[in-house]
Amino acid sequence: MPKALSFKANSVIYFRGDVADKIYILKDGRLLLTSADIETGQEIRELIQTGEFFGVKSAMGKYPRDETAMVLTDSQVILFSVPEFENLVLSNTRIIMKMLKVFSNQLRRIHKQVQNLIGTNDDKKPDEGLWEIAEYYRKNNMTSEAMYTYQRYLTYYPEGVHAVNATSILQKLETYVPTVSDTSGKAGVNELNISSVSDTSVQEETARGYYDAVSLFSQNKFVDALKAFKKIIDEDQDQEHIVKSEYEMGRCFYMLEQYDNCVRHMSGLIQKYPKHPDLKECLFYIGQSYQMKGDSLKAKNFYTKILKMAQEDEPVTIKVKRVLRKMERGDE
Amino acid sequence: MALDMSVLGRFAKSYKAGEIIFCEYEPGDAFYLIQSGKVRIVKIMDDIEKTIDILQPGEFFGEMALLEEAPRSASAITVEDAKLLEFNKENFEILMKGNPQIVLKLLKLFTKRIYDQKRRFMILTLPEDSVKVADVFLMLNETQPDTDEDEQEKTFHSSVEDIAHWAGMSPAKCHSVLNSFAAQRRVEIFQDRIVVKNINDFHRFVNSRRRSQKGV
Repeated sequence: MPKALSFKANSVIYFRGDVADKIYILKDGRLLLTSADIETGQEIRELIQTGEFFGVKSAMGKYPRDETAMVLTDSQVILFSVPEFENLVLSNTRIIMKMLKVFSNQLRRIHKQVQNLIGTNDDKKPDEGLWEIAEYYRKNNMTSEAMYTYQRYLTYYPEGVHAVNATSILQKLETYVPTVSDTSGKAGVNELNISSVSDTSVQEETARGYYDAVSLFSQNKFVDALKAFKKIIDEDQDQEHIVKSEYEMGRCFYMLEQYDNCVRHMSGLIQKYPKHPDLKECLFYIGQSYQMKGDSLKAKNFYTKILKMAQEDEPVTIKVKRVLRKMERGDE
Repeated sequence: MALDMSVLGRFAKSYKAGEIIFCEYEPGDAFYLIQSGKVRIVKIMDDIEKTIDILQPGEFFGEMALLEEAPRSASAITVEDAKLLEFNKENFEILMKGNPQIVLKLLKLFTKRIYDQKRRFMILTLPEDSVKVADVFLMLNETQPDTDEDEQEKTFHSSVEDIAHWAGMSPAKCHSVLNSFAAQRRVEIFQDRIVVKNINDFHRFVNSRRRSQKGV
């Protein structure tokens, strides 16, 4: 049972640093809490109103008291043990709601102080922040995460400064073929979800076949992968996955060291689909095949062609530059 | 805690492994309770995606959105297939009436978060990098529940990056502090753990600096 206690003026109910499991309500009188500002050490004084709780956080969390509670005039308080307090708030949701609000404000404030101190002040505008995260995911080839974030950006900020850009990137990503690095299943599953919105079951089956093939590729089973991609093309069911499979077949030829086949296949692909989303990658594989065959002149021609087409920060640009640097070093 | 699932079933949502539940900077209007599966809380800092926490069934996240509609301060991504209960302002009332225990749990969580942040703040206000690092170990020691009080040597399964994060300094700086501690034989640094040879020594070290700081 909660107990009523009386305190004489100027007496202390508890000191800062005490560890105790008692919670109080001020019933009558005047009561002062004094604590130290954790940043400056300055004393903070807070008067408690009648009917207000104190000592809640430290008692519930079993932490040392943050503050000293001193009565200014003769006062009456009601003392609760933690279980008693819990019973009270469980039966009175208004109290719990009010406390949640107070705690939430405190949490927000201290969080902000910490952020200020470590210098990662999050005063960044949320639209700008969201955009930067989308860009981070895109640059790191985390396609499904990037897509999610661009979509969110467009949902919240359809008129935002980056909206046009986000739309066009999103369109590109939707036709994006997962590369070896993100065929670990995750991206594949999400892409399936996205495309399945309007798909029929036949298309779903093709998609499943396609992702099975992609996973064969990622396990270095290139002969099997090649067969599986060819099957999708021969079945001629779903244009989207046919185009993707054509590209993947070219990659299989390269991995199988069938460089002539790779060059022939990728060249044919470029002619057939001049707007293929992986056009630059196709050219890269052609360049690589020539290089493997010892024809560095032709290889270089393809590489420089890619650099002319691609933007500075695209992954393919970085790859091409690296290869070119290596070639130059080799030439010396 | 026994929960009346028949009332809560309507708030359940399933997520696939690796799915984003919400992203940093999104406006937040819902908070979550994990029923099954694990959730990774991540923040992108200095162009690196950093895992802040991995949450287990029974734990809450996104709770700050409940009372203040501020942008999310971190992203939540499922680690494995997960089932979550999603609550927003509108259905929070239903939750509260049907299951005030959940709200009580939420209140306790807030208490803990406030305490953790305050403790972290105390580390960050310390004057020197070496004292900050020592105090991070003291903080970690306080949160390790089952350690032997009399034992002076303490093992922490934290990386140098983790320590750097808590101390609010670059990993490089943290490395150099730890290396000098190691040279003084106060710590041993392993691949997967850091051993503090005498935690009381760190106590004395931090306390003396904290006092001198207050004297200023």
